Amino acid sequence: MWETVAQAVINGLLIGGIYALVSIGVTLIFGVVKIVNFAQGEFVMIGMYISFFLANQFGIDPLLSLVVSMPVLFAAGVLIQHFLIRRVLGPNDMPQIFLTFALSLLLLNLALMLFTANYRTVHTSYSDEALHIGGLYIPVAKLIAFVVAMGLSGALWVFLHTTDLGKAMRAAAQNRDVAMLMGINPNRVFCVALGIALALAGAAGSLLMPFYSAYPFVGQVFVLMAFVAVVLGTLGNVMGALIASLMMGVAESLGIQYVGADSGLIVVFAMLLLTLAFKPTGLGGGRAR
Amino acid sequence: MMAHGPSTRSIILLAIGIAVLIALPLVVKSSFAVDIFIRILLFSFIGVAWNLMGGYAKQLSLGHAAYFGLGAYTSTILQIDFNISPWIGMIAGGVVAMLASLPIGWLCFRLRGPYFTIATIATAQALMLIFLKFRDLAWGAEGTTIPNLGAAPLMMQFETKAAYYYVVLGLLAAGLVITFLIERSWMGYYLVAIGEDEDAAEAIGVNAPKMKRDIYLISSFLTALAGTFYTQYIYFIDPATAFSFSISIEAALVSIVGGIGTLWGPVIGTILLETTSTLLQSWLGSSIGGVQLTVYSLILMAVILWRPTGLMGMINDAWHRSVGRKPAQA
Repeated sequence: MWETVAQAVINGLLIGGIYALVSIGVTLIFGVVKIVNFAQGEFVMIGMYISFFLANQFGIDPLLSLVVSMPVLFAAGVLIQHFLIRRVLGPNDMPQIFLTFALSLLLLNLALMLFTANYRTVHTSYSDEALHIGGLYIPVAKLIAFVVAMGLSGALWVFLHTTDLGKAMRAAAQNRDVAMLMGINPNRVFCVALGIALALAGAAGSLLMPFYSAYPFVGQVFVLMAFVAVVLGTLGNVMGALIASLMMGVAESLGIQYVGADSGLIVVFAMLLLTLAFKPTGLGGGRAR
Repeated sequence: MMAHGPSTRSIILLAIGIAVLIALPLVVKSSFAVDIFIRILLFSFIGVAWNLMGGYAKQLSLGHAAYFGLGAYTSTILQIDFNISPWIGMIAGGVVAMLASLPIGWLCFRLRGPYFTIATIATAQALMLIFLKFRDLAWGAEGTTIPNLGAAPLMMQFETKAAYYYVVLGLLAAGLVITFLIERSWMGYYLVAIGEDEDAAEAIGVNAPKMKRDIYLISSFLTALAGTFYTQYIYFIDPATAFSFSISIEAALVSIVGGIGTLWGPVIGTILLETTSTLLQSWLGSSIGGVQLTVYSLILMAVILWRPTGLMGMINDAWHRSVGRKPAQA
């Protein structure tokens, strides 16, 4: 009995690490730039396709292709902030919501046109490997993804707390006007925030590739999860998003184990609706916008 | 948008427009063409319903498929299980949608801006999952066909496409009249005030929660009527079409492209987007998936970056230039 529960919790934590990379990106953009990036899931998708094509054409291991997918998506984030998002920052919500929403639609449907709706997989030497510890089953590919995801999250935390640029980002997140008075260039900070957030999404894509299929709609699963985790973890709070993502992974996994295989999403929606009903400011307190 | 009442010129233009719309299916006999007109009228109507809440009060919902689907399922269940005419089912569906909008609104209106939008997406998706998963409720994932009774106007089934055209034309006309009346009422001004700045509106005494609830009731009622009509028109219902995310997207898209918060915006937007989509299909065939939404998303981005007032903004400028009056509102 306890083994089934423990197994479900482990499965949930492992996938929750990937959710965390996506939600940290969403919450970072929300905290610093004050917009919600509806296209975040599509950058996970792009990361997956980058790794898929590198593996397929040149035989490069998906984990190694992190060094390609992360810089490419960082650059994409800087360009998107500089040429698109910068133009719609203002008091009005409509352009911000529908610009990133249009970007999401565009990337998703371009992928559909270019790559078709077929599922793409990469088989690595460790795709079928698993550790067996005291009756528990831990797939190696998911374990590596989890460890790298936690490492990247930790690196981001160190960056935000020790470097000047990181401190400037936190300052801009706390109070944009005062940060500007202190001489922080907002567009530069916003470009870096978008870049980091998209690089994390790209990393999530590459880490998923050894055990997950790439297809144009794949990002939607992750972005939905991320939105819920970001609300649960209090908007704009990186640590909150990380913890909430791991909780979401566990909740989804327990739902699949005890309610039924197709109930994962229902559990997620139920959690979102319950959060909205009883704690719309997130579990960490704070103020809803 | 003109505060000084309709001019003679706009009344004449409206009369000509109505005459053309009524004569259209009598002149155009191609059922392919009439089918496109029906799509344009239907999505204009859904856009008009969305625009009441999304456009005037700027509550940017991407979950209106919830009410489209509830309307479609209510009338279909009443028709197949209880043999009740879809004309009655349509109203019943509207009432069900209104009842559903109360708890959904109670949840979603707790959040503002983008998080309101996300919450509406989630509620519509959750409803779709409910209809997919609980087979006892209504046919599960396979859906069902609507029994074809031949010419049965009392059961909202007609032999000619022209008849369907007049039904949806009537719906659109009703939607536009309702919008026109609300736009000129106190409610309209309150909604615009909420859309501009909700805190400021509340500070001057607008009961924002009540206003938002009331306009959500009207908007969801109208959207549900469209759901019943669509199911009767295609003789088929399943959760994936009735609660399709693309319904929610198109409702918002036609309004924004045409001109958010304007009477005619959703109609103009639908004409542009549906015509583009039809032309694309005839050039490229329907073989390549994703082409239509790729083009839609490019149009949407272009409007947001360069013309946030939409096509109506451009038309209004041109109109006032030709009449030689200053625009009442930029």
